[in-house]
Amino acid sequence: MIMNRRSLMTTALTLGAMKAFPGLSYAQARPLVFATFTGSWEEAHKAVLVPAFRKANADAAIVLDPMLSVDQIAKVNAAKANPPIDVMLHDPGPALVAIGQDLVEPYPVEKSAYYKDLISEAQEPMGPAPFFQVVGLTYNPEAVKTPPTSWADLWKPEFKGRVGITNLNSTLGTGWLVEIAKMRGGSEANVDPGFKAIEELKPNLAAVAANPGALATLFQQGQIDISPGNFNAIQILKARGVPVEFVAPKEGAIAFKTTIHIVKNSPNRELAFKLIEASLTPEVQTTLMNPPYLIVPTNSKVKMGGEIARVLAKDTAELKQKFVFQDWKKINEQRSAWIERFNREIKI
Amino acid sequence: MGSAPASRDVTSYGMGLAAPLALFFLVFFVAPLLQLLWLSLHNDTAALHWGLGQYLHFLTDPFSLSVLGSTLLLGAEVTAVCLVLGFPIAWLYQRVGPKLQTIIILIVLLPLLTSVVVRTFAWIVILGRQGIINATLQSLGMIDTPIKLLYTQFGVVIALAQVQMPLMTLPLITALGRIDPNLDDASCSLGAGSWRTFFRVVLPLSLPGVIAGCTLTYAAAITAFITQSLIGGGQMLFMPMYLYQQASTLQNWPFASAISIIFLLAVLAVVSVFTTLGRLSRGYGGAS
Repeated sequence: MIMNRRSLMTTALTLGAMKAFPGLSYAQARPLVFATFTGSWEEAHKAVLVPAFRKANADAAIVLDPMLSVDQIAKVNAAKANPPIDVMLHDPGPALVAIGQDLVEPYPVEKSAYYKDLISEAQEPMGPAPFFQVVGLTYNPEAVKTPPTSWADLWKPEFKGRVGITNLNSTLGTGWLVEIAKMRGGSEANVDPGFKAIEELKPNLAAVAANPGALATLFQQGQIDISPGNFNAIQILKARGVPVEFVAPKEGAIAFKTTIHIVKNSPNRELAFKLIEASLTPEVQTTLMNPPYLIVPTNSKVKMGGEIARVLAKDTAELKQKFVFQDWKKINEQRSAWIERFNREIKI
Repeated sequence: MGSAPASRDVTSYGMGLAAPLALFFLVFFVAPLLQLLWLSLHNDTAALHWGLGQYLHFLTDPFSLSVLGSTLLLGAEVTAVCLVLGFPIAWLYQRVGPKLQTIIILIVLLPLLTSVVVRTFAWIVILGRQGIINATLQSLGMIDTPIKLLYTQFGVVIALAQVQMPLMTLPLITALGRIDPNLDDASCSLGAGSWRTFFRVVLPLSLPGVIAGCTLTYAAAITAFITQSLIGGGQMLFMPMYLYQQASTLQNWPFASAISIIFLLAVLAVVSVFTTLGRLSRGYGGAS
C-alpha cells in the first residue's frame, strides 16, 4: 500500500469523524441485543421470553447473544460509549462488578408495572432479579438410602470418599463455602470456620471439580454420591435418566439472584426496558417454572407448582423462609483472597 | 547455521507470498500480545498505575512458582510418555507392508478426527470409579475397592499422552522414513547387535524428528486447558487454569496478563532448549 499525505489525511479525518459522531459507525439502527447465558438458559429464553417480548412489542427485532457474565462485562467495557449489548444477565458477583464499573443504568422502577410485585429480595434498583438459582444438596438415591437433611451430613463417616465439591471459581462453590462457614459461626466477612470445615471434610472428599458442570459428570460416572448442587442442573441430569435427587437442607437452600440489567448508553433503552418487563410478568415466569425449564420465579403473583412446589416451596412465604440470601457485596470484597487460600490449602 | 555457503539468499523472492499470513499474524497475534504486555505492566486492575508489581507478586510467591513448576513438569512427563510409546509405533510403521502402514497411520490419525472434548470425556469414562480400568481390575480380583485414577496426576498424564500422541508420532514417522534402511544392514554386517544399531545409528539419525515431536507435544500438553481441568479437577492447578481463574473469576486482568507473559517466556525457554538440541543433532543428520 502506498501511503501518501492525502490518503493519510483522509484516514485521519474519517477516524476523527467516527470519534466525534459515534452514531456514524452504526448507520442503521441495530436490533435489541440480549446477552443471556449459554445452554439451558438460552433455550428457555429463546422459547419463552423472546416470543412473549415480541408479541407485546409489535415483533420488535431482538438478537440473543449467549455468553458468560465475564465476557458481557468485557465487551461492554471495551465500547462503553456505544455498547454492543443492550441487556445483560448476571450472577450476584459479576452483577456487582458491572454496577461497580458503571456499566448499567438504574432500572426505571416508577415506570415498571411488575417491579412492585417481585418479592423484596428480587427488587434491585440497579436491575431486578427475574429468576432465582437455588443450591442445595444433591445425592444419588441408589447409593444414599436415607436422604440427607443438612449440610452437616456431608461430614458423616459413611460418605468417606464419596463427597464432591467445586472450587471457588463458581458462584456455587463460593456460596457454599460461606454457608458452611455460617453453620459453624462464621459469616460473609469471616469464612475461617468454613475452611476449617473443608479441612475436616477431606477424608470424605472424592473430588474437587473445576466447575459445577463437572460435578454432573462425576455423578454420572459414580465418582461421587453426594455434593452441593444447583437445582436446575440436577433437573437436566434427572431428565436424562441419571439417578440424582435434590433436597433443600434444613439450614436453608442458598438462593442466588440472577439479575437483568439495562446497559448504560444503550441505543435501545426503551426496548431493553420492555424486555426486562416481559421477564418479570407472571405469565413468562409461570411458563418458565413449568417443565422442562423449572426456573424458580420471583414474582409473588406466580402460583408455585410442580417439582418446585414439591422440593422447594409451595408459595412465596415458604420460599422466603426456606431460602438463604447472601451478602455478595461482602463476599466480593474478599473473594480473591479466598480463592487464593483455597488454591493453596485444599489438596486431596 | 550449518556449514553451507550462503552464496545467494534463496528466501528473497518468497517474501511476497508470506505477506498475507505475516500481516494476519501482526494484527491478530503480535498486536494483542503487545496489548497483553502493556496491561501486565500495571499495578492495579484499572490499569492506571505503571509498575512491575504483578511480576514481583508472581515471582516472589512460592505458590505461583509451584504452579508454574508443576505445569512444566506435567509437560515433561507427557512428552516422555508420548516418546516412549510413540517411537515403537513409528519404528514399526517403517518396517511393515503398505497395508499395515495404512492401518497404523489411520490409528495414529484417528484421535485427531474427534474433538479434544470428546476424547477427554472418553477418558473420564475409562478412568472413573466404575470405569473400564477399575471394572476390569475388580472382575479379575486384583483390587477390592476401586482405585482413584480420575483427578490424579497419573490420570492427567495418561489422558494428555493419548490426546497429544499424533503430534509425537507423525514427526517420528517422517524422520524414521528418511533413514536409509541399508544403514541397518550395514551396521549389522559390521558386527553391531540390533540394540547397538538402534542406539548408535537409528536413534541419532531420527533425532530431528524426536526434537520436533517433543516440542509439539510439550507445547500442546502444558496448554491443554480442557483435558487438564476435566481430568485433573478443581484442586490440581496448572497455569492455564490459574490464568483463567485470575482473568475470568477475579477480573484481575493485569495479573492474568503477567501470568501469560511469564508462562509464554517459560515455554519459549523450554522450546529453545529443544531447538538447541535439534541444532546439535544436525551434525548426525548430515551424515546420511
